[in-house]
Formats: sequence, C-alpha cells, structure tokens
Amino acid sequence: MSLHDGDARLRPVPGTSNLRLPGTAVDPDPQWYRKAVFYEVSVRAFADADGDGFGDFVGLTEKLDYLQWLGVDCLWLLPFYESPLRDGGYDVSDFFSILPEYGTLGDAANFLQEAHRRGIRVIADLVVNHTSDQHPWFQESRLDRTNPKADWYVWSDDNTGWPEARVIFLDTEPSNWSWDPVRGQYYWHRFFSHQPDLNFDNPDVQDAMLDVMRFWLDLGLDGFRLDAVPYLFERDGTNGENLPETHAYLKQLRKVVDAEYPGTVLLAEANQWPADVVDYYGDGDEFHMCFHFPVMPRMYMALRREQRYPITEILAQTPPIPDGCQWGIFLRNHDELTLEMVTDDDRDYMWAEYAKYPRMKLNLGIRRRLFPLLDNDRRVAELFHSMLFALPGSPVMYYGDEIGMGDNIYLGDRDGVRTPMQWTPDRNGGFSKADFAQLYLPAVLDPVYGFQAVNVEAQLRNPSSFLQWTHRMLEVRRQHPVFGVGDFQVLPAGNPSILAFVRTCTGPDGLPDTILAVFNLSRFAQPCELFLGEFEGYTPHELLGRVPFPPIGELPYFVTLAPYGFFWFELQTEPPPESSL
Amino acid sequence: MIDETELARLLGVHLPRQRWFASGPADLPVEVTLGSLSILRDEWPLLVRAVVSVGDARWQVVVGMRSPAHAAGVVEGKPESVIGEIATPLGHALAYDATIDPELALTLLEQAAGDARVARARHLNADQSNTCVVFDERLIMKVFRRLSDGPNPDVEVGGALGRAGFPSVPAQVGRWHEDGADLAVVHEYLVGGVDGFHMALTSLHDLFDVGGDPAGAGGDFAPDAHRLGTVTAELHLALAAAFGAEAGERERWSDEMLANLGRVPIEGADVEEIRGRFEGLRASRADVGPALRIHGDYHLGQVLRTDSGWYVLDFEGEPARPLHERTRPSSPLRDVAGMLRSFHYAGEVALRDFGYGDEPAARMAAAAWEERTASAFLDGYLETGGIGELLPAAVEDRRVVLDAFLLDKAVYEVGYELAHRPDWVNIPLAAIRRLLTETAPRPEAEA
Repeated sequence: MSLHDGDARLRPVPGTSNLRLPGTAVDPDPQWYRKAVFYEVSVRAFADADGDGFGDFVGLTEKLDYLQWLGVDCLWLLPFYESPLRDGGYDVSDFFSILPEYGTLGDAANFLQEAHRRGIRVIADLVVNHTSDQHPWFQESRLDRTNPKADWYVWSDDNTGWPEARVIFLDTEPSNWSWDPVRGQYYWHRFFSHQPDLNFDNPDVQDAMLDVMRFWLDLGLDGFRLDAVPYLFERDGTNGENLPETHAYLKQLRKVVDAEYPGTVLLAEANQWPADVVDYYGDGDEFHMCFHFPVMPRMYMALRREQRYPITEILAQTPPIPDGCQWGIFLRNHDELTLEMVTDDDRDYMWAEYAKYPRMKLNLGIRRRLFPLLDNDRRVAELFHSMLFALPGSPVMYYGDEIGMGDNIYLGDRDGVRTPMQWTPDRNGGFSKADFAQLYLPAVLDPVYGFQAVNVEAQLRNPSSFLQWTHRMLEVRRQHPVFGVGDFQVLPAGNPSILAFVRTCTGPDGLPDTILAVFNLSRFAQPCELFLGEFEGYTPHELLGRVPFPPIGELPYFVTLAPYGFFWFELQTEPPPESSL
Repeated sequence: MIDETELARLLGVHLPRQRWFASGPADLPVEVTLGSLSILRDEWPLLVRAVVSVGDARWQVVVGMRSPAHAAGVVEGKPESVIGEIATPLGHALAYDATIDPELALTLLEQAAGDARVARARHLNADQSNTCVVFDERLIMKVFRRLSDGPNPDVEVGGALGRAGFPSVPAQVGRWHEDGADLAVVHEYLVGGVDGFHMALTSLHDLFDVGGDPAGAGGDFAPDAHRLGTVTAELHLALAAAFGAEAGERERWSDEMLANLGRVPIEGADVEEIRGRFEGLRASRADVGPALRIHGDYHLGQVLRTDSGWYVLDFEGEPARPLHERTRPSSPLRDVAGMLRSFHYAGEVALRDFGYGDEPAARMAAAAWEERTASAFLDGYLETGGIGELLPAAVEDRRVVLDAFLLDKAVYEVGYELAHRPDWVNIPLAAIRRLLTETAPRPEAEA
C-alpha cells in the first residue's frame, strides 16, 4: 500500500501526530524563496499513476501530501516538456506541451493547483539557450535562408567564427559549429550538436521565450530554474560567456515577471565560482537565486579532512549579494559534480586538495547519491543535513535523499541517481504497477539500498528513521526564519574540527532572532571553547529538544560534541524557565 | 603612596610562579629590585606598571589593585595571578596581574592603541613568554614580560614585514614603548585561526584511526604543509628584502653548534659523532649561502591556519637567548630545520596524546606522516620563485647545512627536555640517532 492511498495517509504513524494541516495558500511573502526549502524531483522518477512505467503528473499529485508532511516549500521539477530525450529532456522540441508519458497539460495544471492548496510552490527547469533540433522552430529555420524563422538560430557559411568560445562537451563535440545539409550552412551550438543555440539577437526569439514563460506562469508555475544562462549571446573576440547583452536580456525577463507575475522566482544555473556568479544577481534586478556550487564539494572535503577550513574558506570568498537575493545550496543533485566553475587560482587549490585523495576523486568524478558517498553513515548524513539547513542559502534537497536512497552505478551516465522513488517494500518499490522490465529505469534492488530495505512506508512507521528526523529538522527550521534570512558569522573555535557560526536577524516582533550552530566534523568526540563575548548573559536553548543550556558567561563557552555531532541553539535573553531545568 | 618595599617583596614571590618567568623553581622567592613604578590609573581600580630587575633581567609587571571585596570576582579561579594584599593611598587593596581584569585591560590598550574602540577584553592563556589579551575578538595585545634595551624583535620584524607587503603576518595596529624599549604591541586578531600543531595533531589522529597510507587518510596534512612551505619561503624573501642579506659564516655557525653541544649532557647518542658532524661543517668547503634575519624560533606552534591561509607569528626568537643573538642574521635553513623538527614532535605527541604509545602500526604511520609532510613542506618551500638566491647554490651544500641545523636543533631539544620534561628526552635522542644514520629529507627539488 502506498502513501497516496488515502487510508495510509491518515493512519496514525508514530511521529506524525504533529502533521501540518493542509494550508489554504502559499506563503504570501514576495521573498518566500529566502525562507523556503526546495525539493528537486523528476516527474519521471517519483510516482507512476497509470502504470506505464514512467512517473507522471497524476502520480506526483498523489504524493503531495507526503511532500507537505515532509515539510518542503517548493518543488523544482526537472524538464517535462515534449522532447526526443537525447539530453534528459533538456532538448526541448515543444515548449508548450509536455511529454505524453508524464500526462496532459490538464494533469500539470491540476498538480499545480493541488500543490498550492498545500502551501507548496513549484518551479521548473527551462532551457532558454537552445532547443532540440526536432523543435519546429529549427525545422522551419533550416529550410532556407528566407523563411520567417530563418534568423531564429545562429547560422553561418563557415565554421570559423568565435574560436575563443570553448567546447563544453569535449568528449562528444569536436566544434561549436555543425553542418546542416538541408540549409547548406553551419549552425552554432554550445552543447550537443542536436541542440542548436537560439539567436537571441533576434527580438522575435526574445519575445518567443517570454511567451513561453508567460504560458507556464499562467498555468500556475511559480518560477523557473533557467539552464545554461551564460551563453545566450555571441560576440566577436569574446568567449561568449557572461556577455553584457546576456545580462541585459535576463534583466528584461526579470522585469516582465516582476510586473506581470509578482512573487515569481528566477533561479540561475551558472556553474561558476561564487565571485563570478554574483553578477547574475545584477543589482537585485536579475536573478533572485543562484546555486552556490562549491559549498557542496567543500563539505565533503571538510569531512574527509576533519577540519572546517574548506567550508569557511569558500564562505569567506563568497561576496555579499544584493538585498532580496538568495543562494541555493545543496548536498547532491541530478548532475555530477564538475570543476568547470573554478578560476585558475582556485583550480590549483582544488587540485592540490582533491587529486591526492583517491577516494575523493573517485567520489567526485562519478555520479553518486548522498548516502553512498557518505558510506551510508547515518551520523554523517544528519551532520550534513544539519549544516545544509543552517548554512546561509536556501537548501535544495534531492528526491530520495530524505530516506537515504542509494544509486545504481551500472546504469551509466547520470541515470544511476535517477532511479524510481522508493515508497514501499512492494513491487517496484511502490513506484509503479507496471512490470519491472517496463520501468523507465530499474528500481534499486541491492540488499543495502534496495526498496525492500529503504522506503518511505517503513520509515514513516519508524520514529527514529532518517525520514522522521528530516521531517523534524524541517519543522524546527520552519519556526525560525533566521535560517533563511539571517546574517552569517563564523565563530572562532580553537578546535579545527569544529565549525561554529551564528545567524541573526530581526524577528517579526522586532527583537533579534539568533541561532548558534555548532558542528563536529570529526569521527571523534570533540571538546570546543567558543568565544561568545557579545552574547554574554544569553541562554542557549537547544532547538530540537528545547533544552536550556547553561547561560553564556564571561569565560569561553564550553561545549562537547559527539562524533559527527551538532547543536542548533537559539540564543535567548530571558533566563530559562525553572520547570524545564 | 604604594608601599614599594612591600610590592617588591610580593613580586619576589609572585614572579617565580609565572609561566613567563623562566628562571628558577616556582616555590622559591627571588630577590627583586624595583626599577620604575608608573601609575597608569589613580582611582579604583588602580593600575601601575612596575619594572623590576632580577639578576641581569628586567621584567615588566602590570599591577591592578582593587579593594579585597571587589577584587574577589576578578581573581576568582586565577590564584596564580594574585600578587597579594597591599596598602594604597585609596585604602587597603588586593594586588593582582592587571591583564586578567577586563576593565584594566582596556586601560592598557589605550596606552598601546589609543584610538581603538573596543568593548570587551579576554585574557588569553596561551603565550609562554608574554601575556596576551584579546579585545572584541578583533585585536590582540601582547604585553611583553622580559624587557630588552632595544626594540622588541617581534615588533620590529612584524612591523617591517607588514610594511614590506608580506601578507602572512597579522597587521600591527598599535605599539606601546618607552625609552626605546617595547612594552606592548597590538595586532589584528586572526579570528578562527588554529595553530599548526593542533592542525597536525588532528591529521595524525585521523590517520591513526584509519591506518594505512597518509596520502589516503582523510586528515592529510600535506596540502597544508605545502602551502606552509610556500609561506615560509615568502617570509624569508620578505625578510631579506626588509633587512638585507649578507654572506653566511660557516665557521661561526659550526662554532656555535659546537658550543651548544658542549652545554648539553647527552646520553644515548654518540656525542663524538655529533661533534664530528659539526666539525665537518667547519672544515668543509660547503657554500653555506646567505645569512639573513630569520624567524629564529620557527615551529608549528608559531604558525596559524586561518580562512585566508597560513600566518606566521612571534618573531621574538628563542626568548632565553640574549637580544643580540636573536637578531643576528642566520641561514633560512635554520627555520626550515625548526619546522621539520616540529613535524617529528607532532607525530610523537600524537602517539602519546591519543594513547598509541609504541604500537608498531601507529608508529609506522607517524613516521610515514612525518616524511610525507616534510617532503610537501620542502616542495612548497623550494618551488617558490627566488628562494634559491637565499640558499646555498648547490643542492649538496643545502643538504649539508640543513642536516647540521637539524642536528643542532635536536641537541638543543635534548637540553630543553632534560630541564623541563625528562621523560620526553627520547624524542630528540631518537632524532639524533636517525640523523646520524640516515640522511635528512632532501631539499633537492628546485623550481
């Protein structure tokens, strides 16, 4: 029995008695994304309602209660548009329809409505840089040099233009130019040759992409993650990345969504170093959010080295961002980790750090899920999530990580981390009623991570499961907007294995809301002295158990952490109530 | 007036109990001559600065005084900081070391950095030879204890390096001096920094637990050691730029090594063989390379890892030596030797502290760690552009000079351990035996 059966949902499950009641609306705050917890999910992989072996919108809709209970605020959907699927759906052949396996536009609209009813927003991937070569725009454009869409793509008689632009997919593409025998010209593509770049110098293309966005926002989407944004324009003598023209167009997109669809969020995928990515925030008039890519590998590095410096260094190198903007941070996602964003200095550093750890290199080069990367160590998984939820930025979880799903490295490419969500110990992990062989990818079956061992149903029943723990953490996080919007200050700690920081903001009551977070990156128990002079007289309350700790005095504050242990404290000014001592 | 005779008597009892007062047993009062007494604050709490002579040495004590009732809270838990009860113009008082009194520490800071605006002071119990107070986790004031006639080398060198644009020293923001002698200095406080020794222990702890090859262990220290080597080379280049370099003196260096050897009663290693090595340096035709101002007391405890890389601290040299010796130019390889010896100590301390004792596997791991760390450090050092100019030109000569300084340092350590921690003496003795039988890590890779 799966969770979307009404009975299962209502069955009193230990630990779910405080289940959040269905809200009537999403958070009305226009800056909701700064407090939100995001959850990345592939429609294909989550739940299959019609039994064809592919997840679909109806299945996803049925799982909304689960997601609401889990405590996420915004779903990020991988591409679901019509596509020949030669690049995981990032090769769109029709922006206005969805892949038939995923259902109908009506299913999608219903899903959006049901999500909003539960207070959950939804954003989706949108590729603006290019289309599939199967897209009718390209099919028309390639016919001849005079048709109405002749100038919608980037055509040339020779293949020598813009030699400074690097070839991104070096393994498969010899050049950014490919020959089209139909039109008898070369076309420009920054990615695969079956993905021709749109010509954003053409105002018609600019307008067409705005219309695509309007279409989906009208249907109810709350925003987009825009894929591959640095490459929209081409200019002589440049590498074609991060051009002023690109920023100007992105600002125009922002202006339109702000004026016509207030509360919409635009999230950039610019896999670059934070100091470069900040340009995509503009002056607060471009993207609302960008991913902070290097934090995640640094967390792994810090864990391996049992010291905080890999994390604190990258945060110290992260420039401030304009008001109203927010980083997106994550532990793992659907892609592999790449080092393409590094600058020369930092590449030296990364190599010096990584190249010497065979294990790290292996782990980073391949596409693995979180739990296998962490050797299935529950303590480290909790440590990592407690950091993810407390560091500055909005956390982006990856579907299945909340139950500790594994991967299937034999599936090749990035499919190993895109296997079906594991709901129950039943057939196909409760994902689908199709025959096993019919599934878009086989569900994981191994004895450690397979759906018989790792699934939502079992973890809902077990009050000490990782799922219940994650639910509880998100519940606590929700009570403290400071996790999303607070300032961030690393605290000095004499013990290098300890990461400690303070987040502060002014709460709705006008009083300061302050969180102290302390993490032990070591496999050993560690003592730690924290210098909390400015908080003398405050009392730390541990957030998960509401346990008051001794007040902060004049002397350094002493805490002891279990191996991979952590504390989230709220610093309160009033003395602790007697009864709870 | 404050009763000076009584104060001198109290200080005669107080000084031997202080960690920074490095002479004689703690429970034996010393004869103290009160030099100068300056009143820095004449209302409660009182603050005076006393300079006292004990033998040839002059020491600085800052004395805070509060009525016994008010002093109780300040000295609570810090009995070693209490000087004693004394009569003052304001009445009967308890005198104590003023650096522990947050209010008086602010008064002291005004002397050194009058324009600093701070709210909180925190006494730091770290430095062996001076006393430090941290303000707002932003500034650190080092109150010098043993006074020299000239400028304090830490102030002089730290300031010159800062002016020379060497980025890996904390910036000086204030200085308190009188008649040419430095009394205190104020630096930016490197918040979140951890000293290199603690970093090394963290790495070793992890390695012992994981076992195996230090390159594969998570706590690998080699990348940090590599960067530390680079910073060390940059330090030497900056010192040469700021203070100049001159020709090294092979004969004088070997004479000093022989003299040091003569002072240390070594048992458990062949003294004659050590002597032979030092005499061999003297008699050799080795080009020993230039001499320059060096750190002089360089080890893992003198470097601090921060978010922006390694910082080098404390340019006072070995405080037990006279000033003119500490500021005398020497080979940069002497600093290199100091750091390499420190890597050996880190391994040994980790074996003791984490309870591995003589377990063969852990011992082998520590040895492999030391070798890997030393080689990364030397790579980082020698790969730095321009450092070759400050070293002997020939690779063999570098080895000869470095080996001699390693041996000299280990001899010094034997003396130190015999005086302070006799059960640790096997650490430097083992190093001496190893140096005599093997060759030291080879500084051969040259960029």
